Amino acid sequence: MKRLRGLFLLALLVVVLPILFPDNYYVTVVAVSAALHAILAVGLNLLMGYAGLISLGHAAFFGVGAYTSAIITTRFDLNPWLAMAAGILLTGCIAFIMARPILRLKGHYLAMATLGLGMIVQIVLVQAEGLTGGPDGLGGIPPLSLFGWEVDSDLRWYMVMSTVMLLVVWLALNLIDSRSGRALRALHGSEVAAEMMGIDTTATKTGVFVIAAISASLAGSLFAHQQAFISPDSFSFFFSIELVTMVVLGGMASTFGAVFGAFVLTFLPELLVVFEDYEVMIFGAILMLMMIFLPQGLFVGLQGLLRRLLQQRAPARLPAPAEEDKHGAA
Amino acid sequence: MALLEIDGLSKSFGGVTAIADLRFEVPKGQVYSVIGPNGAGKTTLFNMLSGIYRPDEGSIRFQEREITGLQPHKVAAMGLSRTFQNLQMFFNMSVLDNVMVGCHLRTRSGLFRAALRLPGIVREEREANRLAREELTFCDLERFVDLEAGALPYGVLKRLEIARALAVGPQLLLMDEPAAGLNDTETAEMQRLIRRICERGITVLLVEHDMGLVMRVSDRILVLDYGSRLAEGTPSEIQNDRRVIEAYLGGEVQYAV
Amino acid sequence: MADQILQFLLTGITVGATYALVALGFAIIYNASDVVNFAQGEFVMIGAMSAVALSAGDNGLPMPVALLLAVLITVCVGVLLQRFAIAPARGASVVTTIIITIGASIFLRGVALLVWGKDIFALPAFSGEQPIHIGQATLLPQNLWVMGGTGVMVLGVHWFFSHTAVGKAVLACSCNRTAAHLMGINVGLMMLIAYGLSAFLGAMAGVLVAPITFTSYDAGVMLGLKGFSAAILGGMGNPMGAVAGGLLLGLIESLSAGLISSGYKDAIGFVILLLVLFFRPSGLFGRASVERV
Ligand SMILES: Nc1ncnc2c1ncn2[C@@H]1O[C@H](COP(=O)(O)OP(=O)(O)OP(=O)(O)O)[C@@H](O)[C@H]1O
Ligand SMILES: [Mg+2]
Repeated sequence: MKRLRGLFLLALLVVVLPILFPDNYYVTVVAVSAALHAILAVGLNLLMGYAGLISLGHAAFFGVGAYTSAIITTRFDLNPWLAMAAGILLTGCIAFIMARPILRLKGHYLAMATLGLGMIVQIVLVQAEGLTGGPDGLGGIPPLSLFGWEVDSDLRWYMVMSTVMLLVVWLALNLIDSRSGRALRALHGSEVAAEMMGIDTTATKTGVFVIAAISASLAGSLFAHQQAFISPDSFSFFFSIELVTMVVLGGMASTFGAVFGAFVLTFLPELLVVFEDYEVMIFGAILMLMMIFLPQGLFVGLQGLLRRLLQQRAPARLPAPAEEDKHGAA
Repeated sequence: MALLEIDGLSKSFGGVTAIADLRFEVPKGQVYSVIGPNGAGKTTLFNMLSGIYRPDEGSIRFQEREITGLQPHKVAAMGLSRTFQNLQMFFNMSVLDNVMVGCHLRTRSGLFRAALRLPGIVREEREANRLAREELTFCDLERFVDLEAGALPYGVLKRLEIARALAVGPQLLLMDEPAAGLNDTETAEMQRLIRRICERGITVLLVEHDMGLVMRVSDRILVLDYGSRLAEGTPSEIQNDRRVIEAYLGGEVQYAV
Repeated sequence: MADQILQFLLTGITVGATYALVALGFAIIYNASDVVNFAQGEFVMIGAMSAVALSAGDNGLPMPVALLLAVLITVCVGVLLQRFAIAPARGASVVTTIIITIGASIFLRGVALLVWGKDIFALPAFSGEQPIHIGQATLLPQNLWVMGGTGVMVLGVHWFFSHTAVGKAVLACSCNRTAAHLMGINVGLMMLIAYGLSAFLGAMAGVLVAPITFTSYDAGVMLGLKGFSAAILGGMGNPMGAVAGGLLLGLIESLSAGLISSGYKDAIGFVILLLVLFFRPSGLFGRASVERV
């Protein structure tokens, strides 16, 4: 199963980490956020990296999922899984309706429209106090439970979040390596040529937008139950930008790149805390420098570096590129 | 019976008339060429036939069905495929994947079945892979299968575009200047390739500036001038047409036939 | 009611003028280098914050000197940004450049946080606080400064691009870099000028509105987004469209704050922007781009 080698490696890492470092803050807390971010980044990467459609408002779908779960479980006392499904349905519908007019736009206009969509959702979350609790947020969200198994400890959340992450990565890998995945990448390469190959580009764009949105909604629901309390701050423009950065930083059009980017961007601020007042500045500088010197992304860039090193050691040309994700090149 | 029937077709951009009241028919199983000076409207014609531009007026009938104003992917589904004057490759994909995109219409699986990798997907993938490799071999590209499209030289890309268009399984293939930018050897290869495509029973509509190639490869030729029909006929009729010689070639004609 | 509306219009034009200056900065940089500079709002913040810092206290500089220096500092920041963050990344994709400029804006904000802390500052009004009455509506002298200053700068920019050799050279670079280079234009220098000019406009916007809106290390974020919105509304790459977009956005916000809901005013602005884009995918005054195949 060469195709899924990367996934097995990732799964191995997920299993080994808590065994090696039980009760380590970085494993039980930070890694859980990292896995959550990875779910979001992998979904967004389908849209941005593969289909080439930029979105600066992805946090909106994350927020709609989180708030749907929070409101339904706290106000109506319904089952969290039902709430999660409702969130996915609602987000999917919003994405489906918005996809057509928004995805007709190109380049910076598309960036603006998605940014606007994100801002509108965030403003509604802040302003619709009766429903969302306004800027103070919503608390008392019950934990998830799976056939009586309550997800109520850090370690259990680690298990749930990383399992969902692995699942999402698996789905994304399957999708990319299929007829629909090729259609997505073709869309990025040349829209007219894709149409000429019989691809309904409008439907394909809508499809990937909806998929990215519902994966964000799923992440949002998990986030709401994990945190037990949510406020609009978690779904702001800044978070959308962070997600985009994860995708680009890891390397566009590489699922593992997105995972990698999510991990780097989750751990980096934790490590920069020691710089106290300098934290924001250093974070900005790192972001700039990495994009200037490794524009194809950290993961893809490092992969290339590694391959070159290997080739220097063994000058005979490998028959096929030896990376996990053969579509890595953007 | 004509495979493609064009009647009263017109298109203008602002003040510029690109195609004016054009009428012609493409018989099945032939190589039919459209020639004309730069800006005569050849690419615009192709863009209308393939559904990229909507004609201002007129009708396009393909396999006896009206296709005027249909979206390109619907036109493609009816069996019309094309290549582009300016390469429209999927440079973000491998050579094989490029051609596998061409197999899009010959496979069925949707997003969800693919994401869950339900049974049948693997078989379908293998089928698409086989079809794509067949077309690559047909276009003499099997050496390049595993490379990234972005790494290929121009001449190879021209053929890759043809392989990709063939993978769609077309009845009619529109080729927009396939020999532009090719050297003599490559042009000769291109000529053979065009004939071999025709021998497979695929009708070819060709736009090309290389007159030698056009004269050697075509069954019929349409001459466009400022978007309208100047002459139409077999290569020898065209070569001896006085209007063509005057208007298009400025009097002196030397074909390397 | 009519008086109220007049008041909303006056406020709207003042706010809109600020947006217009920021949007103009966006348009100039976009024209020159195809980059959407998300650090544009930080120029506004740096202009305002340095003016405050330079003029504050007992031994602060006199106001005009402080303003001049503040603008100069910002121009330097703009030039440095081009030289060390944008120029090395030439040829990068749209998203990559977006992230670079976002990184730059975070960096600049981080520096501002370090230097000035989290406090909110105000600049004294240029010519007093005595309100001017127009019917029932009132206007501060500073509002006039904002409107007048914006008017002068917009005309100046227009004149710069249409009447000076340097302005035309910058435009030539934006049309076709290679051709401009072959014509003997120093493309690198023109880029620096474009970024410097954008930073100048941002800083001017900053010092002009600081007496009304106050300023802090993170004041640039929202202004940057609004400026981007305005530039898109007008049609990216059309400088006068950007100005119109800014004024329009300011008016929309002020009217919806007054007549509908102040909490939702920003949302209404974005809804209208989205609607405009749905019907005119290249903004109000942008040229529709046709893809040739
Ligand atoms: N999208 C468009 N917008 C405006 N004008 C166009 C467009 N497409 C084509 N034209 C104009 O229509 C006319 C015909 O162009 P077309 O590209 O069809 O010519 P052509 O015969 O293919 O020329 P060439 O041999 O150079 O490829 C030209 O004057 C061209 O400028
Ligand atoms: Mg042409």
